[in-house]
Amino acid sequence: MADLVGWWDDFFWGSVVVAQVFFASLTMMVLFGLLGAAAKLSNSRVAQKVAAAYTVVFRGTPEILVLLLIYFGSAIALTSLAQLYDPSIAFVDIPPFWAGSFAIGLIVGAYATETFRGAFLGVDPGQIEAARALGISGFKTFIYIQIPEMWRLALPAFGNHMLSLIKDTALISIIGLNETLFAAEQAIGTTGKPFTMYIVVGCIYLSFSTAITLTVMMLEKKANRHLEGAR
Amino acid sequence: MSFDFSLVIDSIPKMLMGLGLTLQLMALSAVLGTVLAVVLLLMRISRRWYLVWPSVTYIYIFRGTPILVQIFIIYYGLPQFEAVRDSIFWPILREPFGCAVLALSLNTGAYVSEILRGGILGVDKGLGEAAAALGLSVRQRFIHITTPIAIRLATPAYSNDIVSLMKSTALASTITLLDMMGIARTIVAETFAPYEVFLSLAVIYMVMTFFIQKAFGRFERHMSRYLKREN
Repeated sequence: MADLVGWWDDFFWGSVVVAQVFFASLTMMVLFGLLGAAAKLSNSRVAQKVAAAYTVVFRGTPEILVLLLIYFGSAIALTSLAQLYDPSIAFVDIPPFWAGSFAIGLIVGAYATETFRGAFLGVDPGQIEAARALGISGFKTFIYIQIPEMWRLALPAFGNHMLSLIKDTALISIIGLNETLFAAEQAIGTTGKPFTMYIVVGCIYLSFSTAITLTVMMLEKKANRHLEGAR
Repeated sequence: MSFDFSLVIDSIPKMLMGLGLTLQLMALSAVLGTVLAVVLLLMRISRRWYLVWPSVTYIYIFRGTPILVQIFIIYYGLPQFEAVRDSIFWPILREPFGCAVLALSLNTGAYVSEILRGGILGVDKGLGEAAAALGLSVRQRFIHITTPIAIRLATPAYSNDIVSLMKSTALASTITLLDMMGIARTIVAETFAPYEVFLSLAVIYMVMTFFIQKAFGRFERHMSRYLKREN
């Protein structure tokens, strides 16, 4: 504990960055997941093929590879674009925060695609027919009937996707994001206590995972409250 | 910026030199991890608190923290203690390979244990009761009735986890190992051509994922052959 004096604030700000990455990538994950599920459930053969390729590619390649490809790939593309205007520019990159959030949002979005697809298919068609019979518009049916119904079915798997997201944030330190692992490396450089510092990082992630698990349990209870007493 | 195919042709054989290391990491961790998972599972379902409690805690910790942090704790962290450096395990823990296998096995063990438990919980209770009625002992029921069915039920999830494990082996490149990912990162550092190198490597990983899924699909069909009805 004595070794940690003076480093708490670094770890705290690192955790704040982890939380920020989490929410940024969560938004993208939901977006990509819904788009992917919509494409898979659509009647367009092309959209189905594209979505199938998306899930196969991002579920079959290591996360670190996708992350490095997106970060360095975009940096090269941006640099060569910038050099068209000003040849003296040496290096332009997307900030690691956004490259990283985008990469893990994209990866976990591939898993979320399958979850959302399955959940939409799990919604009883009778519910949609009933809504139509009541004269509710297609859009309103989607928002007020299909989304809440599918949300209940998707929640358990969705919780696991959120856990994957939070754990994947650790990878972004590889492209130089100032998060908890990065703080630990700096602390190790000064104190020479790698075990202590990395255990602190482990504890931070364990707290995040616990918070997510508890939140999902609460959400599940809320989503299933209309079923209580029906069993 | 252009896509240089000659670089693809050059780098693929170089990266495939790391295939052996990737496969070694994967096979060793899969075997050790599965053995650990079975032990954890037996502890978890034993109904003795002094066995259940450690197993639950272990699974909670290893599933709640990033594998990258676990690798760093083992490789960079453990040598902080003199006791570790003097112990008989030092020849393994000194080498990045030993540390990577240890971290991947410990991690896989936690995940697979939960998968196997899911398989056991999925076995129809009636089968156990039928076996009990036929006079099979608890042990006989577990070995001859529960286990084969649980294995079949757990196979799809297990195959996904082996794919995850294969993807996690790429993280060994962060502790200086030259697996396929490590070699790719070296080539990119020399040529600064992330597209050519990383995309080729992504294809290699996808092919491996494909073969893992094929192999497990075949195994699952073999295990479910009793379910096929003869017409």
